[in-house]
Amino acid sequence: MNNKMIHRHDKGAIYIHWFNALCWIFLTLTGLGLISNEHINPVGAWWPDLMRGIFGSAETLINVHIYVGLFWAAVFLIYILVRFRDSLAFLKEVFTLSPARDAVWMVKRNIQLTLGNRAMKKMGMTTEIPPQGFYNAGQKIFAQLTVIAGLILVVTGIIMFISTIILDSPTPAAWSRTIHYLMAGLALAGLLVHIYMAAISRDERPAFKSMFSGAVPEDYARHHHELWYQEVKNKP
Amino acid sequence: MKDKMPPLSRRKFLKTSLAAAAISAGAGSPLVKSLVPRAHASGARPPGQITSHYTACDMCFNRCGMIARVQNGVITKIDPNPAFLKSRGMLCARGNAATKHIYDPDRLKYPLRRAGKRGEGKWERISWEEALDYTAEKLLEIGEKYTRCGVMFIPGSDMQSQFVNRFAEVFGSYNITSHETLCLLSKNRAYLDTIGEVPYPDVYYSKYIIVAGANPFEAFITPDTMDFFEARKNGCKIIVLDPRFTKTAAMADEWYQIKPGTDMAFFLALCHVIAKEELYEAEGCCPVNTYGFEEFFLHIRKYTPEWAEKECGIPAQDIARIAREIAAAAPAAMVYPGRRTSDYEDSTQIRRAMAITNALLNNFDKPGGLLAIREVGVKTPYYDVPWYDDNPFDRVEAGLVPGLIDHEGSFQLMREAIISGEPYPIKGWFNFKTNFMQTAANRNKTIEMIDHLEFIVNIDIAMTDTAWYSDVVLPGASFLERKDPVSALQGSSACACAVFRDPVVPEMFESRSPFWICKELSKRMGLADSFDFTIDEYRRQQVDGLEGAMEAMENMGVYYNPSKTYGIYAGSPLKTLTGVKEIFNQRYEASGVDPMPVYRRPKQPAENQFRLVVGRTAFFTHSNTNNELLTEFMEENTLNIHPEPATRMGLSDGDLVEVKSKAGQGRLRLEFTEGIEKQTVYTATGFGALSPEMSLVHNKGASISELLEDYHDEISGNMAMHETFVSIRKVA
Amino acid sequence: MKKKYCMVIDSSVCIDCKGCMVSCKVQHKVPRGRWRNWIKHTEPDFTMGKHTFVHFQPGNCMQCDNPTCVYACPSGATYKDEETGIVHINEGLCIGCGNCVVACPYGARYRHPEKRVPDKCDFCRDRLDMGLLPACVDTCPTKARTFGDMNDPDSEVSRLLRDRETVRVVSKPVDTEPNLFYMAGVMPLDWPGPVEYPAAYRAMTGFVNPLVKIAVGLSGLGVAAMFLKQIFTSDETSEDDSREEV
Repeated sequence: MNNKMIHRHDKGAIYIHWFNALCWIFLTLTGLGLISNEHINPVGAWWPDLMRGIFGSAETLINVHIYVGLFWAAVFLIYILVRFRDSLAFLKEVFTLSPARDAVWMVKRNIQLTLGNRAMKKMGMTTEIPPQGFYNAGQKIFAQLTVIAGLILVVTGIIMFISTIILDSPTPAAWSRTIHYLMAGLALAGLLVHIYMAAISRDERPAFKSMFSGAVPEDYARHHHELWYQEVKNKP
Repeated sequence: MKDKMPPLSRRKFLKTSLAAAAISAGAGSPLVKSLVPRAHASGARPPGQITSHYTACDMCFNRCGMIARVQNGVITKIDPNPAFLKSRGMLCARGNAATKHIYDPDRLKYPLRRAGKRGEGKWERISWEEALDYTAEKLLEIGEKYTRCGVMFIPGSDMQSQFVNRFAEVFGSYNITSHETLCLLSKNRAYLDTIGEVPYPDVYYSKYIIVAGANPFEAFITPDTMDFFEARKNGCKIIVLDPRFTKTAAMADEWYQIKPGTDMAFFLALCHVIAKEELYEAEGCCPVNTYGFEEFFLHIRKYTPEWAEKECGIPAQDIARIAREIAAAAPAAMVYPGRRTSDYEDSTQIRRAMAITNALLNNFDKPGGLLAIREVGVKTPYYDVPWYDDNPFDRVEAGLVPGLIDHEGSFQLMREAIISGEPYPIKGWFNFKTNFMQTAANRNKTIEMIDHLEFIVNIDIAMTDTAWYSDVVLPGASFLERKDPVSALQGSSACACAVFRDPVVPEMFESRSPFWICKELSKRMGLADSFDFTIDEYRRQQVDGLEGAMEAMENMGVYYNPSKTYGIYAGSPLKTLTGVKEIFNQRYEASGVDPMPVYRRPKQPAENQFRLVVGRTAFFTHSNTNNELLTEFMEENTLNIHPEPATRMGLSDGDLVEVKSKAGQGRLRLEFTEGIEKQTVYTATGFGALSPEMSLVHNKGASISELLEDYHDEISGNMAMHETFVSIRKVA
Repeated sequence: MKKKYCMVIDSSVCIDCKGCMVSCKVQHKVPRGRWRNWIKHTEPDFTMGKHTFVHFQPGNCMQCDNPTCVYACPSGATYKDEETGIVHINEGLCIGCGNCVVACPYGARYRHPEKRVPDKCDFCRDRLDMGLLPACVDTCPTKARTFGDMNDPDSEVSRLLRDRETVRVVSKPVDTEPNLFYMAGVMPLDWPGPVEYPAAYRAMTGFVNPLVKIAVGLSGLGVAAMFLKQIFTSDETSEDDSREEV
């Protein structure tokens, strides 16, 4: 067994990740509580009633949601400005997809995780998974989703926030809410997988741990992020 | 489960949090400012306790009881006083708009003295001291040069008008006239000359009412307007005669589009049927309790319904049927006396015909008929009127018409006298809250009159057209800021009551009440003794002997005198010459006036000419239109015209036309309606102000005072406003 | 007991004096050009001669039992108060999307130009708390409007509803079940418009909401599948896992 650890995340990345995670969960839960309409209610009336009960009133709930959202966006903005180069590198990394490798990875890994290797073999596929970089294709797609959804959520959120302050037309707020809901919904769909993979799946336990320690075992790196591992190894 | 009252609104939350942000950001960055709209940033004061104050409305002449709600020293809302029987616990649109009367951006703030030519609009601000000194000096100077009667006084129709009246009398002028001389004096004359007093219609208990020459559903009279509906619930039938399809007409049981000015024909024919078919009550009414019934019987023989149909356009069989119906309903039936009767040159005679119809219905002093004046018990404190040796014998327009009403006179005839300087000169004008420049027919003649005057002082709340042509303008306090004496009111059979006003809020700016002004002027003119009292002392004298009156007015906003309502005369003689109802009037005969109404066909407009009639809506009073809450219903007046003649002349709905009479001209937009007689046009009062400081009605529409020619009722001298013919030309 | 406020209106006595409109405007500081209440009317037919008439019809928010405005509000900022039956607007929760304004077939709502949230009649809630009648009811000269609690059998409105034939002015095709009752014979009846929901709202209920539910559902199913596989097939782990587990 190789117990050698490889540095993967610095402190800043770890903090922003967990800040992001907390905000995202909090905003999703409170945001869901802001929908209260018997014709829409995604999970039933009990949730908005519960949330409004916890926060005392619907107005407090919306205010908390707004100000946490604004705070989240502001912190991110500062983070990006302060770590501009790293942020750019991150964006470049997550938005660079290699169609062949990443598509195969997506298909095979999904089957492997849900149905297992045997099923894959039965389907006539090898269990060979294409090698991945710093992020695997799944992580990249989820990252893309969160970056795009996050941006749209911030923009639509701000539109709704300023609607009653400066906007003379009601239409932007109406569409913003529709889009805000759509984006939050899609992100939540991705988030469920992300949370499972990170926190529950045994497979990715080292990655989960690395989000606290900043490092991953060499083995893990080689198997899961082979391209990145090579890159790190080859670095002088 | 749902919060009844959100404890903290998002906007408040936002405001406070953004304010905190602004402070921490080093105060007022433009971004933050732009995020906090002014409307939200201001008015952050916590809501104060709401207090309620009784008062009486002054948005028209009805004096309805109201409760002003005050918060943080500002009147935020005015509600009706539910205990106020005269107004049946209601408040109309105008009363509700009183908040914009007191908080009118056009309000006068301090005394002004004219600095340019009259009407030029150049003013200098002066102190009250200077304004009062100057006014006293000018009035004394005119009194010295032209006698005390050389000043015309217009005391207004206000709860403090009695002080202006007192001031006029102690100053020594009997040339006091009023807005009423443009209004109801011909009606008053007719009833005075028929039953000896001006009655109140008991609409509430009536079973049959003919409304002619009145529009009580738009021109509110309390409690009559409301009582029509209570009466109708109890089976009362309402017949309306009007060339216009007014709202009264729109809600009547029957509406007849009578030809303008022919009402007398209808009523004479009505009397004809009642007399001929002996529908009157022979025992208690005719001929026993009337004077001249026999002569009248002969007089009306020719006035058959068939004849009347040709004159007034109402089918003979309807006239006969209405006569039978109303006689059957008598005495709980009436011809509604109406209010503004300043319409035709024979308007007193027209109302005499109505009053005689009422006499035949035997409805005076009876439920559902016409009520005698009830006792309220409010006294007018006595004062000495000094004698001025050099004063002329009588008021300036005395004798010009046979039926001039004492203490009222006729503004129109006085105006003629001022222009002619005959029989003696009038050179001063003391005016309180009356706007003849906007209300009196022939504005150009009023301007001509003003050219003959040496000094005009005007007390008003805003720069009316009349103030605009004055020399000294004194800012009056609004009724909500004043302490007023007790006023006695009769509300039909509902009540005989008394009210006063205490200030709801303090006087704004440098505004002052007429009482204070008269008191200050009297000190400067050696008449201090006449105003040596306070309002409280005055009130006590007014209600002296009326037990509980003061307390009731304080605690309930009104005092009711449980005085007799019906049968007040109880067999004792009426206040007429003969002591009975005078169908035949001997005084008229002696003055060379028809002792019984004689129908004369009204003069008719030439082809392509129209008779201009005027009136008002339920939301305006005369020239008091400059109110933001009310102009929203009508931003400018239009000319109502029947589409048929208009189309014939090539005019379309909405066209801008020039309306021209012999007196003046103005521009109005056409408004087509089939609800108007074809050779009649109508426009509302209160627009086309000359004063730019009447900002909502200046350069909006046209003023009736500009368009109307000046005719007057031949008996009372009341103005006659429906005798003007206009031509209409499309403005290119 | 829960209240259910309503108005019973005898429109046959309305004289179109505008008293209710000004009273309301002052009470609620309604900006110029906007109204919380109205007076509709019929057009006169002059061929009727002496019987030509106009019927005036005062109205305001009908506080419907089937409130399309409430359905159009995703957040519950517009809601029907179950204690009073009054449809309220929680301005603190409202984002000013304007859905409810067009969803009301009676045009009872307007978007406040400064507050930028909808505004409408709330039966003068603040006045009710002070023990006063709604401003329009209080001021009405001919007392065309009667206000009260229809759950209280002794109230004036209950008495009128029992003793008099009343009708409601209802939108078509959606019966919003208004709580403004008019004495039979009221006119005009054909003025309410359609119930409209804006495109953004239709997109939200018709497309986005199902899509989100499907996406989250599928994702949830996938996670569940992975989780189940992890639990029940712990033997068949990936090579990585076996190697990692020490």
